[in-house]
Amino acid sequence: MSAARLIGLAVAASAALVILYLALGGSSYAPSAVQDPCDPRPWRDPSGVEEAAEQFTLSGLDGAACELHVSREALAVALASESSREQFAQTYGISDAELEAAVRAGVQRAIDDAEDSGVLSPIVATPLRVAAANLPVDEAIALIQDARGIFENAQGILGDAGEALDQLLP
Amino acid sequence: MREATAMPTSRTALAVAVGLVLADSSVVVLALPEIYRELDVSVTAVAWVLVAFNLTLALVAVPSALASRALGPARLTVAGLVVFAGASLACGLADSIEVLLGARCAQAIGGAAAVCAALELMPSVTGSERAAAVAWASAGAIGAAVGPGVGGLLTDLVSWQSIFLVQVPVAIGLAVALAPAARGEGARAAVAREVRPAGRPHLAANAALALVSAALAAALFLIVLLLIEGWRMSPIGAAAAISVMPLAALAGGRIGSIADGRARAAAGAILLAGGLAALALLPSATVLATIPSQLLVGAGLALTLSALTEAALAGRSPQAIHGGWTIAARHAGVVAGLLVLTPVFTSDLDTERENAEQAGTAALLDSHLDPSSKITLAERLADRLREEGERVPVLDPAFEPLPDDPEQRAQTISLRANLQDELDRAATHAFSDSFLIAAAFALAALAPIALARERVEL
Repeated sequence: MSAARLIGLAVAASAALVILYLALGGSSYAPSAVQDPCDPRPWRDPSGVEEAAEQFTLSGLDGAACELHVSREALAVALASESSREQFAQTYGISDAELEAAVRAGVQRAIDDAEDSGVLSPIVATPLRVAAANLPVDEAIALIQDARGIFENAQGILGDAGEALDQLLP
Repeated sequence: MREATAMPTSRTALAVAVGLVLADSSVVVLALPEIYRELDVSVTAVAWVLVAFNLTLALVAVPSALASRALGPARLTVAGLVVFAGASLACGLADSIEVLLGARCAQAIGGAAAVCAALELMPSVTGSERAAAVAWASAGAIGAAVGPGVGGLLTDLVSWQSIFLVQVPVAIGLAVALAPAARGEGARAAVAREVRPAGRPHLAANAALALVSAALAAALFLIVLLLIEGWRMSPIGAAAAISVMPLAALAGGRIGSIADGRARAAAGAILLAGGLAALALLPSATVLATIPSQLLVGAGLALTLSALTEAALAGRSPQAIHGGWTIAARHAGVVAGLLVLTPVFTSDLDTERENAEQAGTAALLDSHLDPSSKITLAERLADRLREEGERVPVLDPAFEPLPDDPEQRAQTISLRANLQDELDRAATHAFSDSFLIAAAFALAALAPIALARERVEL
């Protein structure tokens, strides 16, 4: 076999395999990229309180993560426990004050998204925003994690005002 | 001298000795994950089980070749095999990484003596220096190619320690077989002290050998880690999966007889680079996807290693010293490859572990499972991750038992497949940069091969 032919065959075989794998998506065979939490994420049509509360949680995580410039997923793992929260704050260099501000921003985003999707009426959403802005951070985190109370009965958040609003709701 | 040693030595014993020692360069590759877990060390530390052997071999190869000229090649071969056997025993009994690394260095010292001296003995049984060079290079290439498979088999069937322990009787048996030659040589010590000028080593061929060997280290080390640690295959399964490479190497060796050395060296380096680049672009986490790449790597390895070794030895004497230079170049290349690539892929593994965790969390959050099932599943998955520590986790147990509700069951199965896919993608992608760097090593070997074209016939 001539030298040129052997080298030509080697080049052809190598190039053919690399091109084939590129065509089959080899360059993008990597973990799926997570969505930017600052981008809007439309709510799936919630069919009940559980689903609405879940969407609220996801929106809350998006809002807080956007504020902290981290992914929604990293924040979700961080909020699972006190120790994971501390580790997260240490890893990303986030102070308690920044975390508190982010959690409150998350609650605001969740209320906005709930209102935009038509799950919360503006009558409930507006005072809810005011109440959420003054919630202690632990309660704000608890609200992001489990928002069923909002959709079952707004009183838990708004006190007497919520009860009054409840009576106004259809 | 050669006439004196020709009778009692045999071509088979010498070839097996060379293959045995050079197989040790790669034989533990499939056992590394097991060693890493059993001795509780980091990936970087366990890579030194390979590095220590190859680095020592590289450093002592040329001095060993000089010693074989001074002391007599048969005596040094026997002495080297005895040291190799003792060190292998120590490796098999090692209960800490420090002892294992020390014993690996001793193994390399004995092995270098045996391999370099064997090249000096070989012409007496092959009939010519050229035939000796071909037989010696082939024995080394076959040993290096077969080593990982045998190591994987022993690790799975017995233990990683058995890899070293089975070498003890083999090395002793070879030493016994060669002992008569050593005794005969002792009676003719004056002949053994004959000194010929060594001449300058073939710089281009040795430089190319070093670069190709760096790429080869990546091919063996990274593929094995990908299969066992990334895709969670058993050592025996991984051994079967990478058996394509030595088979392709045998086929590549046949091509060697029908083309000239320079073309074989260049074509081999190109095939090696192509195979490694394709491994960096795997489109799925399946053994099947690695087979075309392994075919190219195996064929490339056979073509280029044999051509370059023969070129480094051709027309140069004494062969033992120039053989020592090729051993030094090859194993220095392996060390360089491992030292460059280990930090790259360990860093990439960390990054991809984080990416997979985020992608998996996203899949769970966005799944259509009911919220209470998601919370339960998230807790179970967190437990699995804790149990598996740094390893790529097996997620299936976290999904058991599956929900009774058909719709939730289907959603759970879909999510399980989705998470497994994310893990496979992460594990595979973590090796991409390292394979590309290894491909660059192989391509870089074309420079000294091209340079040699102007000055020296390869």
